[in-house]
Amino acid sequence: MRLALRGGRLLDGAGDRGTHDLYVKDGVIEGLDLGGPVDVDVDAEGKLVTPAFLDLHVHLRDPGQEVKEDLASGLAAAAAGGYGTVVSMANTDPVVDDPGIVADLVARAARVEGARLRPAAAISRGLRGEELTDFAALKAAGAVMVTDDGVPVADSRLFRSACEYAAELGLVVQTHSEDPTLRDGGVMHEGAVSQRLGLPGNPDAAEAVMVFRDGEVARLTGARVHIAHVSSRRGLEVARWLKASGAPITVEVTPHHLTLTDESLCGFDPVYKVAPPLRTTDDVAALRAGLTDGSVDAIGTDHAPHTLAEKQQDMLTAPFGIANLEVAFPLLYTRLVLGGALPLERLLWLLQDGPARVMGWPAPRLEPGAPADVTVLDLGSERAVDGARFRTKAKHTPWQGEALRGWPVATVVAGRLVHRDEG
Amino acid sequence: MTGAAAHVPPAPPPAAAARRHRHLLDFEGWTAEEVVSLLETADVMAQVLTRPVKRVPALQGYTVATLFFEESTRTRLSFERAARAQSADVISFAAGSSSLKKGESVRDTLRTIEQLQADLYVVRHPSAGVPHQIARWTDRAVVNAGDGRHAHPTQALLDAYTLRAALTEAGLPPQDRARPFAGRRLTIVGDIEHSRVARSNAELFTLLGGEVVLCGPAALLPRELGRLPGVHLTTDLDEAASGADALMALRIQRERLGPRRLTSLAEYVARYQLRERHLALAKPHAFVMHPGPLNRDVEVATELADGPRSLVERQVASGVPVRMAVLYALLVGRS
Repeated sequence: MRLALRGGRLLDGAGDRGTHDLYVKDGVIEGLDLGGPVDVDVDAEGKLVTPAFLDLHVHLRDPGQEVKEDLASGLAAAAAGGYGTVVSMANTDPVVDDPGIVADLVARAARVEGARLRPAAAISRGLRGEELTDFAALKAAGAVMVTDDGVPVADSRLFRSACEYAAELGLVVQTHSEDPTLRDGGVMHEGAVSQRLGLPGNPDAAEAVMVFRDGEVARLTGARVHIAHVSSRRGLEVARWLKASGAPITVEVTPHHLTLTDESLCGFDPVYKVAPPLRTTDDVAALRAGLTDGSVDAIGTDHAPHTLAEKQQDMLTAPFGIANLEVAFPLLYTRLVLGGALPLERLLWLLQDGPARVMGWPAPRLEPGAPADVTVLDLGSERAVDGARFRTKAKHTPWQGEALRGWPVATVVAGRLVHRDEG
Repeated sequence: MTGAAAHVPPAPPPAAAARRHRHLLDFEGWTAEEVVSLLETADVMAQVLTRPVKRVPALQGYTVATLFFEESTRTRLSFERAARAQSADVISFAAGSSSLKKGESVRDTLRTIEQLQADLYVVRHPSAGVPHQIARWTDRAVVNAGDGRHAHPTQALLDAYTLRAALTEAGLPPQDRARPFAGRRLTIVGDIEHSRVARSNAELFTLLGGEVVLCGPAALLPRELGRLPGVHLTTDLDEAASGADALMALRIQRERLGPRRLTSLAEYVARYQLRERHLALAKPHAFVMHPGPLNRDVEVATELADGPRSLVERQVASGVPVRMAVLYALLVGRS
């Protein structure tokens, strides 16, 4: 299989490589402007050709919750969002706490047209926070990360042990850093808006407290701890202090925490209900500043699909989560890059080199011999978000109707064209 | 047809102000003028209720559906009385007797109810925001009858109606029609954090020109509410009572709060029960209020609850004319 992406501007973490035809053969990048016959031709003229994005944080709901999402819809959605690799979370039904489930995910994902899957496994059996899973066996089956994401690990001794095993085995530990008793029954950010709306609040202190514990245990054990979805100024400041003092942690932020605030909840629409919660404009400003000052290492989507019926329940009952794989790049490109808050190169870094570094993977490059995971972005055309066009099963989106630029028009994974959008 | 048709209905004042509003969810977007117009309509409705035949044909042909996803006999009965007194038909839906217990969502319940062709929904739900959600999903009018901790606007209206009348009878009528509570202070004592009554009263009383003091233990007194204009917070009941025109106690629910949120009931009673001493600190004409149901000798001393300054029974009685006015304004006033 040989494929050519013609006439695009090539940009990766090594810099701007100019306008070229990029050739891909047998799953790897072959070279530039080589000519010769190809099986698939992609017109990339006027477009940006760049390594496909890495997302260390998606919920694909498979196995067991296929009514929300499955490997086919989730990996297709990732490819449509420009992603070449995603790390799936373990809070499925059953939980990914058994090597057989990991192996099954890897085998089934290989047969799916879309992004490549790198599963995470649970830290504790059933995400109950009581018994450790078998990290070595899970790693051998294909798990690249351990996490109880969705449920904070309340037991600090168990968390310390998890870090010790993970450090020994070279696994990344990802944490959902919220103190569960301080979060209590909070369904939105605790503040002036939650008090006005009469909705139970989740204070920023719940995040800051747990970021501190997780960072200190990382320092104590030497484990690489990746703090997922930091949402607050306080949480980020604690993380920054921990990093500066030598704790081996990395920090993730999400597209929704960078673009939405708690004011979104004023209409009582659970489409905005997410954990950790959307916070204040001040928190958004702090997270945005963190993108450039080195305190944020990666943007992860925390793509968390639910059915429309679930999201049309009341605010207390509806589940947490926003499905955003397919809008992440256009949203951040339009709001942050075109909004003047972030250089394009930095946004790409946070979606490519940043997450690769978190995982200890090679930086993705458009160089001969590198894996042919490439996406083509149309930075020029404006198009309104239309959830009905999403590949994810969750068609409802906070950004419905919003005019955005930067839509991924083609994605190549392992040398195969897995997404193509003719507009 | 009942004998009601034989009685000429009083002409309610033109509810032009209410015409802008399709729903009563909270007081967001309502002007003082619009609320005062509702209170004046309620004055007329109260007249109807003093007649031998307490019924007018104002809402004949309309159907009001009460959708109570949370138990509340008192409020539901008050709304149903208000609908029937205007000759509306009433449909009652109560969560306890329905498929909700089988896991049906509010949206699906609404789809079923919509087939019954009601014109207005009166909604109570344990979660904040459900009346707003229903208002998005239907083209019928929606009245919020209490949603979680968020709002209970008809309770606030009946409290305002009751206090305005009591002040007038005490020789202190409003100096400014559109700001009837200018210079007045309402003190609300209790579990402020979990109280939709406190939130709606704070919203309405300040809209009508008054000041509100919210008082309770710090663990139940959200600091952010003190940022609202005209609202003050204090944990000291003596301070809160001083100079008040009305003292309102809220029901304290220790079984719901649990020992992680509340000290012993004895300590709560010692610090926050309304007593004669607090009435003595308030203005000479000051009134005692309670949204019910009352825990006697817990949040309020019996001698106050049953005393001459108590408006507790009048609050309940005001519920019907005030809810009549709301139903009338939303169904007919805006047509």
